[in-house]
Amino acid sequence: MMDFLNLIFEPLQAVFQTFRVFLPNFLAMLVIMLLGILVAWLIKFIVVKSLHAVHFDSWSDRMGFTALIRKGDVWSRPSAMLGSITFWFLIILTLMIGLGALKIPAIDSLVEQVVGYMPRAFSAAVILIVGYVVAGFVSQGVLIAAVNSGYHYAKLIAGALRILLMVLILAMAMEQLQIAPSIVLAAFSIIFGGIVAALSISFGVGGIEAARRMIERETAEKPDAGKAKDEIDPL
Amino acid sequence: MMNAVTLRTEVHEQVEKIGSADIVVGIPSFNNANTISHVVRAVQAGLAKYFPTRRAVIVNSDGGSSDGTMEVVRNASIEDFSAILLHHRVEPISRIAFPYSGIPGKGSAFRSIFEIARTLEAKACVVVDSDLRSITPEWIELLVKPVLEDGYDYVAPLYHRHKFDGTITNSIVYPLTRALYGKRVRQPIGGDFGFSGRVAGFYLSKDVWESDVARFGIDIWMTTTAIANGFRIAQSFLGAKIHDAKDPGADLSSMLYQVVSANFDLMEEYAGVWMPVHGSEPVPTFGFQYTVGLEHVPVNTGRMLGLFREGLNNLREIWLGILGAGDFREVERLGALADDAFCFPIGLWTRVIYDYAIAFHHNKLPPEHLIKSLTPLYLGKTASFILAAANMEGAEAEAEIEKLCKAFEDNKEYLVMSWSKHKGDQT
Repeated sequence: MMDFLNLIFEPLQAVFQTFRVFLPNFLAMLVIMLLGILVAWLIKFIVVKSLHAVHFDSWSDRMGFTALIRKGDVWSRPSAMLGSITFWFLIILTLMIGLGALKIPAIDSLVEQVVGYMPRAFSAAVILIVGYVVAGFVSQGVLIAAVNSGYHYAKLIAGALRILLMVLILAMAMEQLQIAPSIVLAAFSIIFGGIVAALSISFGVGGIEAARRMIERETAEKPDAGKAKDEIDPL
Repeated sequence: MMNAVTLRTEVHEQVEKIGSADIVVGIPSFNNANTISHVVRAVQAGLAKYFPTRRAVIVNSDGGSSDGTMEVVRNASIEDFSAILLHHRVEPISRIAFPYSGIPGKGSAFRSIFEIARTLEAKACVVVDSDLRSITPEWIELLVKPVLEDGYDYVAPLYHRHKFDGTITNSIVYPLTRALYGKRVRQPIGGDFGFSGRVAGFYLSKDVWESDVARFGIDIWMTTTAIANGFRIAQSFLGAKIHDAKDPGADLSSMLYQVVSANFDLMEEYAGVWMPVHGSEPVPTFGFQYTVGLEHVPVNTGRMLGLFREGLNNLREIWLGILGAGDFREVERLGALADDAFCFPIGLWTRVIYDYAIAFHHNKLPPEHLIKSLTPLYLGKTASFILAAANMEGAEAEAEIEKLCKAFEDNKEYLVMSWSKHKGDQT
């Protein structure tokens, strides 16, 4: 009879024992999560206030970052959006640390992998955001300068430059994420080289007429420009 | 006494040796060896002829010329004063020529001149450009006397210019400054100014010498600062302004950016001053006005209108964001006009400039991109004026500019209303 009861109670004892070991870890996780949420909220508050202080929203408006997030159907101010990103990043970090407190080998291994990948994901996100802003700034500057210099294909030049820069930035971000780096490198080389080759061929063979028209259009007005130069002193 | 941080030791010593002066004449320069001798001699003659008993110093603040500009200044002299003067000068004229320190630019050159004026406790100061070919001794009298004898603090120049010259001044700077601050200073960025020692000290007290003011925009900064701070303003008629041909490599859009951004920056600083101002009043004008024969100025309106249309084709999104749909449609309509029928309405031009000022205030684009995107519109407006004024006499062309100024004044409410809107409402 005792043997039979032992057969029943031993697993229950084992479960209870496991639960006794697990309970403090679980409570620790809950405390970590609670503190993490509080700290994340506090840091979000500080980040948003600091961004307001340095007029980050105005800067974002100027650099086209606000327009970018509007395209993504995000209608909050850029400072609030960065505050939310910081908050959720910290919440995920807290969740990882909290789950680590449970001391379950499978979860530990998963957490280790995710935490190990985070710096790369963060770097890739920074490359994409900064790259987008820089590409927009450079192409806008080129567009305005080309128009003021009288180039007929200003928009085409600026658009092509923007696409090339975005291709370069995407390749850099994917390389950072270690997503099939050799394929990314090869794809980048093919696309970049392909664009140059396509332009050469289209100008040299396929689009010879169009190329001729473009060149003629650019050069046709030069004699007229030289004929009567402005000698106005604008100041 | 001498605590100026931008002056070198040898300059300190020279200034201390001079001790004090009634008049300081500053000449900023950079590679002007060909023209500066004439300017220095005209200044010397002016001081000798009109202020023979006043202690005067000529200060050449140079930007590191490699063509011997400073040597020319040190050696320039009038051989025989008796040929131009009825009586001999009593007080000698001191001369200081030195390379200024600080950020390269006309503003830094002026800062050194102001510091020397303050140290010498000068009662009146004058600054004149070093590339002037039309400066005469009378310019010194006309710029100094209102300060020394009539108690004015700031004397702006008034020139007779060709009707097609000074297009940035005529279509933007003068109408805008006049509408904003209510004073009709015709040449706010003339480059040749007279001012009191008190104003020089006031300029030095402003914390701008590490900003863009040190590099460019010092002329409009000086004029606006003097007006906005309630100093007594006058202008003097100096005749024609003829100077060295401008640098052929100088880019129009860069020039526009420098002048207009300086204006817009000042609008931020003095919003509390210009907002309540309505209308404008003339400022006292000194000097006998006479007609001046002016050289023909070749222009190519076809090229200007071509660039305007290129802007319309390529900068559509940027202009739409700045001007709004209503004004953009009007600009679009202009693009379809034939060259000989082209006319940029003054009401529309006024709103364009105000819209750009508001876009600058609300940080809609990086400042340089924003203002450089104005270039095709400015060329359209300039071409329109040239076409309209082609057969006009100087006075008629001036009346057109007067109409534009009135439009700026009449539309100012639009600027004030839009300026005050919360920045968040603009996105």
